[in-house]
Parts: sequence; C-alpha cells; structure tokens
Amino acid sequence: MPIWRRYSDCVEPMKVYVSGLYSGGNPQPGVGIVRSLRQAYPKAELVGVEYSNRVSGIHWNDLDDLWIQRPWDELDLDSYGARVRAALDAGGFWISGSDLEAMWLAALFPDGHDHLLAPPMGALRRITKPAVEAASGLPVKIPTYVSTDHSDWDLHAFCREHNWRVWLKGPYYDAARTPSWDVFEAVRNALSKVWSTERLYLQAHVSGYEESVMLSAYKGELLGAVSMRKREITPEGKTWAGDISEVPDEFMVPLRQMVKELQWTGGGELEMVRDAAGQAWLLEMNPRFPAWVHGSTIAGHNLPALLVQAASGVRAVPAPAQGQEFTRVVLEVPVRPEYPLPPIPEPFAGAIGHSLKHPSGLTSLAKKLHNANPEMLEVVSEEGGPTGLPTIPDTFVDDIESYDFDAVETPQFLFMDSTAAGLFKRAGERSHRLSTNEVQVVSGYSIKTNPDERLIRLALENGFLAEAISLLEVHKALEVGFKPDQVILNGPGKWWPEGMMPKERMHAVFCDSVADLDRTVGAIERGEMSSAHVGVRIRTPNVVSRFGIPLDSPATFRELVAAVKRLPADTAFGVHFHMASSNIGVAQWWHLFESMLKWCRSIEKLSGRTIDILDMGGGWFPDDWHADDDSKFAKAVETIRAMLPNVRQIVSEPGKAMAQPSMALAMRILEIQEHEDDKVEAVVDASIAELPMYFFYPHRMLRKCSETGQLQPLGRGKTHLMGRLCMEHDIVAANVQLPEGTRAGDLLIFCDAGGYDRSMSYVFGRG
Amino acid sequence: MYLDAAEKLDEVRAEERPKAPSAGARWQHFPYSCLLHHGDTCCEIAREWVIANDFAQLNGSDLLSGPRWLRQKYEWGPSPWPMHWCDVVERKVIDCGAHSALAHEVFTARGVTAFRAQFIQSYTADALSQWRTKWVDDKVSDHWIGDDVIYHEGNALLVGEDELKLWDSSAGWWINPRQNGGYGSLAAVRIFADGQWGGGDGFRWGERRIKPNEWTQI
Ligand SMILES: [Zn+2]
Repeated sequence: MPIWRRYSDCVEPMKVYVSGLYSGGNPQPGVGIVRSLRQAYPKAELVGVEYSNRVSGIHWNDLDDLWIQRPWDELDLDSYGARVRAALDAGGFWISGSDLEAMWLAALFPDGHDHLLAPPMGALRRITKPAVEAASGLPVKIPTYVSTDHSDWDLHAFCREHNWRVWLKGPYYDAARTPSWDVFEAVRNALSKVWSTERLYLQAHVSGYEESVMLSAYKGELLGAVSMRKREITPEGKTWAGDISEVPDEFMVPLRQMVKELQWTGGGELEMVRDAAGQAWLLEMNPRFPAWVHGSTIAGHNLPALLVQAASGVRAVPAPAQGQEFTRVVLEVPVRPEYPLPPIPEPFAGAIGHSLKHPSGLTSLAKKLHNANPEMLEVVSEEGGPTGLPTIPDTFVDDIESYDFDAVETPQFLFMDSTAAGLFKRAGERSHRLSTNEVQVVSGYSIKTNPDERLIRLALENGFLAEAISLLEVHKALEVGFKPDQVILNGPGKWWPEGMMPKERMHAVFCDSVADLDRTVGAIERGEMSSAHVGVRIRTPNVVSRFGIPLDSPATFRELVAAVKRLPADTAFGVHFHMASSNIGVAQWWHLFESMLKWCRSIEKLSGRTIDILDMGGGWFPDDWHADDDSKFAKAVETIRAMLPNVRQIVSEPGKAMAQPSMALAMRILEIQEHEDDKVEAVVDASIAELPMYFFYPHRMLRKCSETGQLQPLGRGKTHLMGRLCMEHDIVAANVQLPEGTRAGDLLIFCDAGGYDRSMSYVFGRG
Repeated sequence: MYLDAAEKLDEVRAEERPKAPSAGARWQHFPYSCLLHHGDTCCEIAREWVIANDFAQLNGSDLLSGPRWLRQKYEWGPSPWPMHWCDVVERKVIDCGAHSALAHEVFTARGVTAFRAQFIQSYTADALSQWRTKWVDDKVSDHWIGDDVIYHEGNALLVGEDELKLWDSSAGWWINPRQNGGYGSLAAVRIFADGQWGGGDGFRWGERRIKPNEWTQI
C-alpha cells in the first residue's frame, strides 16, 4: 500500500497537461479528464493542449492555462517534441486524449517518461485494430474481418458471406456501412483519400448492445476499471448517456494480466458489442480514456485521478458516487477573450455547408506518422499477405487462349466454351445427386440471364428446365429444342406479346399477384393455355422486391389463402420464391428460404392445398452457387421434405450463376493519358453499354501481353479505364493497375461478363 | 381479457390498504390477458400470419432477440377486451396485454422458453392522469392505472438454466435488471411458470431472484 502525500505537503503546484479537447458530436475525452482531475486535485494547475483554436473544449473554465499549438499539418514535430520533453522534464504530467497524439508521443519517448501518462509503443503495436492481439486473454471475440489488400473479387465474396452487413473501417477512425458494391467503392475511395492509405479493412457487423470497459494503469499495474453500457446513443453512434458498474471478475482477472504484460500506462478503453446470446465482441481498444470518462467519476470511479495519484504520489480527493447513471447536456460557455472565435470558412462556390471535421488536422498527423513509420500501424498484417490479384480459373485461361485475337474485332463478347460446358454439367450432376425416390431436384435456366442459344442448348442437354419471363423467351426455348412441358413461365410479363401463348401443356406457370392467378385459372378453364402446375410467387416480408404476392399484412395473406383455395382441384399447386442471393447475402438467403418454407406450410394448412412443386433460387453469385460442397443444398432438400412432405419436384434456379462466367468481354486500349500523382486514364473501345453491371460487382480483368501473349491479371492501382462513349459516367473500371509496358492497342479481357452485362448490353454510340 | 377480470377486480382502494402496501397488491388475483380464438380460419390465418411474419422479421438474428417488429406495427394504446386473434391483427393500436400475448406466441413458436409476466411500474400523477383520460375517452377499462403505479404486461424469456430477461413488448425493449426506483421503474413483477426454478429460489434476473407465480417486490 503506497503512502500518498497530501497535496498541501507538495512544494510545487502539480501541473497536468491534458490534450484532446474537441467537444463536438464525436468528442474527445480532454474536457472529461479535466473535470475529473479538478474534482480530485482542486489546486492543481491544469493545462489544456490543443492544435486548433476552433476546438470548443479550450474554453472550459476548469482549465488554468492553455497550450494551443498550430494544427498538425503546420507543426514542426521535432521542435514541438523538444518542447513537450521540456514540459515533462520540468515536472508536468501529460494525459493524451487523442489516439494519434498518443502514438506520436510513444514514438517520441521510446523508453517512456515517468510523467508521460500514455501507453508505450510496444503496447500500442499489440492493440492494433482489428485484431487487438493483446486482448486474446479477455472473454471477448473479434468480429470477422478482411484486409482490403485482397482482390475486389474476394472482398465482394466477404460482403456476400456477411449479408452485406459489413463496415469498411479506416486505420485510426472512421467507419461506414457498405450495403452494396457501389457504396463500398465510393467509401473506399473516400477513406483512402482522407487517411492517405489503401490499408483499410472490412469487418462483419455484430448486432447487439454497446458497452465499454475503461481502465487506468501505471507501469503495468491496473489502478482501476469500470464497465459502461451505452444507454443513449448519438446519430454517430457515440455515448450520450450510460450506466456504470463494476467489471466482473471473469473480465477483471485477464484484464489485470493484460495490463501487466503490456506494461500499460495511462487510460484505455475496450469498445464492445454484446449480442443477444450474451457474447461480447471487441471492436477496438483505444489508447486513452474515453470521452465519457467523467461519467465514471460521477459514479464514484475517478480513473484519471487514480492515474495522476499513482504517478505523482499525491493523494487525490476521493470522489463520492452521485449515482450509477450519467447523461450529457448541451452547455454554452463563454469564449476566452484571448482565443476569440476564428472566422468560419467560406463555403465552396455552389456547395452547401462548411466542413469543420478534424479541425486540428489529425488526418495530416496520421499521414506524417504513416510516412515516418509505415509499419507502425499495419491494419491487418498477414503472413505472405494477399497480392490483390484475383485468381483466374484455369478454364477461363484455356477458353480465352482458344481465340485468335488477330481475328477478333473489339469490343467483342467471348463465349467461354469449356467453362460454360463445365458449369452446366456440374449443376446437372448436382441436381441428379440431390434427387431421391420421393422428390426430384431439377435445375432451371433463367433465359433472361443470357438468351444466347449456346447456353440454352447446354441447359437442355444437361436436363435443365427453361424458365421464361415472356412469351418471346418461351418461343426461344422451344426453338432451341425444349418441349413445352419443359418450360416454366413466370413474372408479370407472362402474357406478352399477346397471341403467343402456347396451347400445349407447359410445365408450370407461376403468378405474380392474386389477379394474375385468377386470370391464369380463367385462361386454363377456357382452354387458352395449359399447365401441369399453377402456382404463386411469394414475397416474404422484410424484403424489398416488386415481385410476388406480398405477405406483409394479414389481409394480403388472407387473400392469397382464399385464391389458392379457388384453384381447380385437378391442377397441381406450386410456390415460387426468388431473391438475389448476391444482393442480400448468402446466409440471409438461406434464412429467407427457411422463412419461405414456413409461409408455405401455413398456406398448405390454411388452404387445404398441398404444394407439389417448389421453384426457388435466383441471382446467385457463381462462386456461391458452384461451391464444391453439396451439403447446404442437400440439407435444404431434407428440410423441404420435412416441412412440405407433398413436394414432388424442386426446381433450383441459380440465375446468373450459370451465365455470368460463361462469357468475357474483349476490348482494346485506344489511348493512355498520364496525369499528376501517377494517375492514369486509359481509354478503351468498350463501354458501359457492354458492361452495364460494372457498378454492381467486380469483374476479373486480364491484359494480354502484346509481346509474350501471356494473360496478366489486373490488381488495384491508380488507373481509370474510360469507356469509348462520350458520357461522364462511362468508366468501365476505376483504380486498376495496368501491368508494366501496357500501351495503346493492347487487349484487355473482362471476365464474368456473361450474365446481365451481356443480356442487358445496349447499342449506343455506334452511329 | 381485461374487461371481465376488471369487473371482478379486488377493490383494494388506497385508504383500505395496509400501511406499507406491496406494489401489486391491488392486482393480486388479476390474470394475464389472453387472446380468444373463434375456432375458425379467421383466427387461424391471423395466428399463422403472426408466427410466419415473426420468423421473416427475424432476419437471421438470434432467436433470443426481442420481436421489435410487433411494436413497430402495433402502437401501444387502449384496446377493447375481449379480443380475438382476427381482431388483434387488424388493429393499429393494442394494449400491453395484447402485445404481451402476441410476443408470447412468437417466442413460443420460435422454440424458446417464454413465460407471461406482469409488472407494476412507478409513474407520476401526471402520467397516470394522461393515461386515464385517454383510456376513458376510448371507453375501455382503466383498471390498470393505480394511484402512483400502473399494472403492465410483458414477457419473461429464459436465457440460461434459470436466468431470465424481461421483455416489454409494448415498448420494444428489455427491462433493465438494475433498478433503483424512479419514473418508469419496475416496482414488482410476477412470472407465470410451472415447476421449480433455481432449486426453489426462483429465477435469476440480474442480481435478484424471482419466484414464479407470486409478486416479487423490486
Ligand atoms: Zn376469428
């Protein structure tokens, strides 16, 4: 037990420098630290440190003095470092309220300083986001993440795997939800620019309630820790109110060990989310007190005081608990006359608002730190890390190499013969494997994904049914050789064009509304059409879609049940469920699948009609659908058997998974323009008219080397590939790297262009 | 089933109560609310819809998460009793008894263990008088409003061997197990559950123990 001195016994007044006084919507802890210290040391000299006179916390009246420095972008770090050292040598203590400043101080004092109340560099390295390696002994998990060093192809896969509930995070601060590929690309560009690094990471979202543990430690000894649950949250996700409690033993014991191992000094915060099952997920560890630090002091735990007490040996005035809950209020305080408010910047002409983010130039400090020591804060370091280049399947290479490009006029879609044949064969075989005596599994080829006859023929040869959304598509299927009873007709356009409805019996017709169902039943009764199965497409609630019969109110559900009851007894009934797995994510798709089966079971029970045929699928990303493992699909068939024992046939429709890899787009470079900062613009003879899906998912790209003929994958870089159209948004690829030696006339090949790129491509700019 | 029960309500007026009345005394024999079923497809469609919709709204989340969608779809307010399944789903506004009954149905359909719960909550005279006016204007019973407390219904969800979480379906939140009195705080709780829990000590809720089928003062 240390023997503390009373403050009045001290010869010199205690001086404490506190930085991080920003008090906006995403506040720093400086003002809270100052308030807590003032309570513990009424006579101490508290000096506010800031790097902008725009930061409102400098006007807080508990501050005895101010040390206002020029913003980080103007600051000469060497001379400023010398001044900080002199201040500490003179007996002042320093509590940093900014992560980046703490990092800079750790670099400035590699052997520490008794008066520097911030963590040493060795500790900072071990709490780097997102892995927070030092926390491995705590009862927490780390949400799954991936470095953006991976290829776009792999990043897109990560997003799908996590249902697009993912965050793109910067190396220090900043995080944004990226619910789709175009948003991801926009946020990646913005964050890379702000933080001058490409080293970002994508992290899976964890739903739950946010909580934190704040700690205070001196030279590896844990002085105190509290737990805080957020009880009100600002739109930026920051604490507005919270409650404080003791840290439970199962957390405290490993925390004490961790602090010892890290030789931690200063404040710290572990930010977590607790999920519905009670598991805590660690989002990050901050090397400083949190902004809500004074909320803990209110609850009787003055952690900054414990820190100063341990470092100075001077006893802090004990803090009586005023309650276990705290909240914030908005306060107006007088501005110090010696630091009058600076003018507000002129808005950019034509723009709205004044950007006042990071007034102290923290992003510029980040850049300086990064330049000084690029490895200090590697976001995600992996052994033999990713190259950023996509993996190109062998069949792609074989198919592309089978073309004589001297004879290929560009832009030109390339049919990928062996790739397509392999995909259809494997899908056909899988359906066969999954079929049992009771239930037949059959694949469906969605003609709209690519109406190329070669693909429709492959579908026919591999035992697929043809899925059409218009009578023109029905006729296309019949022309290629499908029999009417191998055709399924869906969608709101099934009666178009008029007069083309086949009289022969089709395999199934699925209706998009109750009115459509009544019309279909009427047409069948009048002999205008015939179908072995008549069914409905359902739209499960909580999903944005314009298709199918909505089930989001009891009234629409009642109408559907009544309509199903009206179906003629001799017509077999079916249900169709389609949702683009690539948009909603794979796990989410399987949840919807299960949800759909529950709706089907209710429809059977309430209508008294049994379901004979189930048509499910839609919009699978090729890699998710063609994954080698059958187990998920096999389990799905089992679940269907268990929940809907009358189902005789399952039509599984992979959507674009068949067509997308089956074609590539060849183009030639027309011109290469080099700009400032290594930026390159290359104009190509293709355009978004041939690649309308460019914004929605990444395409694997290859350059055919004009000298060796070798196919070289393209990674990320500073080149924009501009389309041939005289249109502002005709950029077919942003931020790619053209291999060394690329020049005008070279051939580029965009793979994965056989789905909607092909079927929705349009004629534009061809005179 | 408020109305019937309200008529039979033990008339424990403030002046007649013992010196330190326990919160909940007035509702000592008050049953929790139950939805009625016409025994026909009208009610069955409604019930099936609630259950299937709950699963759809879960969005793949943990089965132990609260059915927040119920509060989003149905505002909390006066509703007439008795109420049938086919009535309740068509209403825009339902009271806590109906909320709790719907939540119980979906929790049970998810396969998790849930119990009906009754709460006594403290509020101010202003709040009580506002609610009384609203309920009287709607010509439904205001028996649930006491002198300084209200009777409220919710749900208890088993999340461990004997650990509970208390769900307030009409608010769409979990009740904080750390209670220190004040506006909106929980004064008493009663959980309807069969069997012995916690080796006879009752359920664990935060730091407390709650014995089933009796009012526990918080
Ligand atoms: Zn009914």
